[in-house]
Amino acid sequence: MSRRAPWGVILFALAVVGSSSSHAAQAPAYAQAQAQAQAQLPAPAPAPAPAPAGYSAPALYNLANAYARAGKPGLAVLNYERAKLLEPNDPDIDANLRHVREAVGLPPESRNRFERMAEIASPRILAWVGVLGLLIAGVSALARWQYPRHRRKLHAATLVGLSLVAVTIANGAALWPITHEAVVVTQAAPVRVSPVPIEEPLFVLPEASVVRMMGEHDEFVLIRTEAGRTGWAQRSSLAPVVPKRIASDGVSTSHN
Amino acid sequence: MRVPILRQRASIAAIALYLFSAATAPAAAPSIDATIEPQQIEVGESARLTILTSGSGTLSVTLPVVSGLEFRVVGQSHQIQVINGARIESTSTIVRVTAEEAGVFTIPGLTPSSPPLVLRVNPSRGGGSSSLLGNGASPGPPPFVPGGSNANGIHLTPDGSAFVHLEIPKHEIYVGESVPIEIQVGMRDGFVASINSLPKLNSGDFTLNNLSRQPEHAAKAIDGKAFTVYTWRSILAAVKPGTYSLTFEAPVTVRVRTRPQRDSMLDDLLGDPFLQNIFGTTVPKNVTVTSPAAAIKVLALPTQGRPPGFGGAVGTFKISADLSSSKNTAGDPLTLRMHVNGAGNFDRVESPMLRGDGQWKTYEPKATFNPADPIGYRGEKVFEQPLIAQQPGTHAVPALDFSYFDPGTRRYETAHSSPLSVTVSPAADSAGNEPPPPANAGASADESHGGLRPDHAVTEARVDSLIPPYFRPRFVGLSSVLALLFGGGWISLRRRELNARDTKRQRELARTQLIRTLLERMAAASSAGNAAAFLSTARSALQQALSARWEVEPEQIAEDLVDARLEGADKDDIRQIFTLADEANYSGDDLKAADFERWTQIVSRQFIEETAS
Repeated sequence: MSRRAPWGVILFALAVVGSSSSHAAQAPAYAQAQAQAQAQLPAPAPAPAPAPAGYSAPALYNLANAYARAGKPGLAVLNYERAKLLEPNDPDIDANLRHVREAVGLPPESRNRFERMAEIASPRILAWVGVLGLLIAGVSALARWQYPRHRRKLHAATLVGLSLVAVTIANGAALWPITHEAVVVTQAAPVRVSPVPIEEPLFVLPEASVVRMMGEHDEFVLIRTEAGRTGWAQRSSLAPVVPKRIASDGVSTSHN
Repeated sequence: MRVPILRQRASIAAIALYLFSAATAPAAAPSIDATIEPQQIEVGESARLTILTSGSGTLSVTLPVVSGLEFRVVGQSHQIQVINGARIESTSTIVRVTAEEAGVFTIPGLTPSSPPLVLRVNPSRGGGSSSLLGNGASPGPPPFVPGGSNANGIHLTPDGSAFVHLEIPKHEIYVGESVPIEIQVGMRDGFVASINSLPKLNSGDFTLNNLSRQPEHAAKAIDGKAFTVYTWRSILAAVKPGTYSLTFEAPVTVRVRTRPQRDSMLDDLLGDPFLQNIFGTTVPKNVTVTSPAAAIKVLALPTQGRPPGFGGAVGTFKISADLSSSKNTAGDPLTLRMHVNGAGNFDRVESPMLRGDGQWKTYEPKATFNPADPIGYRGEKVFEQPLIAQQPGTHAVPALDFSYFDPGTRRYETAHSSPLSVTVSPAADSAGNEPPPPANAGASADESHGGLRPDHAVTEARVDSLIPPYFRPRFVGLSSVLALLFGGGWISLRRRELNARDTKRQRELARTQLIRTLLERMAAASSAGNAAAFLSTARSALQQALSARWEVEPEQIAEDLVDARLEGADKDDIRQIFTLADEANYSGDDLKAADFERWTQIVSRQFIEETAS
């Protein structure tokens, strides 16, 4: 085998990753959330054309803008948050999200430095970067025995691959809390000490508030606010940022 | 009801004995003698009057009535003696004499012929009771002044079983001022069964806040009697100015005697209330104990010098302020915190914090109170307000003010925090402050919702889920398989490399393989009955096994070396194998089946020993 052989192996691995990534981008979609949500909007929303299935950052952003214009800050913030998951570095999403939150009297979201660093690219890209890193690290680690003369270069390649894997893991760690967040989509969400509707509310969350979901019981969700207060809110008042299935209204989704 | 029956039988037996002795012995003439000890006491104390009647017949004794003295029978004993045929009866009655006022009292004789007794009662010097009858041995009615106050200012109930006492640090307060108070409910041990609810304030002009649910309790001796004192802490605040009388009450359950007075003598003799309870002489009764009235003057807050930002805080406070960060990016929120420390009515401590201007965009502050004591009189209230710098640069956060009324100095005070500074750097996307031009024909800047950036062009690229790929099972499975493959391959290659480096191990493996082959050949030669091949192969196998043990070349192992180095039971047999192997090449002798088996076992044993070593 020639001396250039290890780079051939790595290039082959890159080709495998590239083909997987392009295949994932064309994954079958299942929902028509945008079209259905647009249909809920009052005039002047035109009659919706059949929308392509699946999620895209521009479609979610446009949907959020439509909700903001229709005076529904909760649903607007929800879709901005969803769009941010796909395009975390889009300045328009940040600007409009901040604008809508300010309009209802909520302070802008604050992210710490780690979260900002982890959001250098979209999770989809970083996921395949992680796979690429794993391939580079694995192939170069194995090739060290086959090509001992290139041991140092292959060692460096292993470190590069592991670094890419680390970036992906950091991004996942930063996004994990966001995947358990929900937005108040009703005008007010009373929060109670226990998951029963007859109890006096502890406090009331305004529309568009973002909360962390910590547990569920029947029709109630145990939430924690940005200020650290906890309590039970009715599930119908909240919409999770990351839905697992699309409900009939195209917006209110469940984690079940 | 076993105890009363026993007592009744004892009484019947005593009466029968009395009647028997009275009927069989001649009676002596009756006499009466009375003494009092001590003859000088103080108000509230008791003396002991002993009335001794002796002789036969019935002698009626009536307790004297003297104004200022209370007489009560607390004990009686009866003796019958027959001396030289004469029956002598004696009855000793103990009467407690409690002085209610000072003076010199003459207790008239109990019979016309008895001399009077004199008791001198001095005014009380404020000390505890020194009653001869009341100290520990006999509970009876409490020997202190009913309804009076003792030296500690404690006002007992008329029966002396309980009290409610209010500890208030000041009697002149301001409207809205919080005053920490202590409410003490004392229950005399054995007399009060329970407190039925929390102490209650008997006034609508005050509010009682943060009353502790679980009182502290401690044992305390009051006038020589054991009490359990329960203490609640709370904050008292006045609603309106004026002069008021403040009382507290506590419903308690006390044990009340139900037996006639004449029977209570036995109770007094029994002494301990615990014993009285055993004999069923008390029943529980709910009563309400009220504290003595405390006069409190409530002053209105002065209108002169009242600061414009005064929100009703009364107390002593200090403030400080800080920012969540001294460096920030334009558009990102900061948190401005104001800490109000001190003592007072924290429920009225409010602050609008910083007001929005062209430099800062401000939001509604939220407040958190961290009490330093259980009633929330002392502590720290923290106000947190999100701020956003409108422009990059170095900005000053102005000093915060907080106004309150200090009841100590009797004037309004305004506390100031220090100004703060923060450096705001431009936002990373400041270049894109202006809305981007519309990317498609349908998108345009939204004029009616100024500030909203326009819609984006929708592309065909879509994903089937918002869940990040690395949280999906398919992705996790693929990554795990890849990691396992690479990890397994790495471990396999690593082991192969390590094995290749280990020449000794390689040699051992080769020798083991060779010995196994030789043993198989021996088995084949044994089956074929070929003695020469069998013995030759056996010798080779032994040479391999012994060479590993002695670390010499196999060819060097011969009969002389076996003689010199081999030990154990197989030494002669092995040496014989070497000899037979040489002979078999030319003698052509055959071996019996048993011999084949025996030699095979010997060789195998050496191999096993070699492997074990």
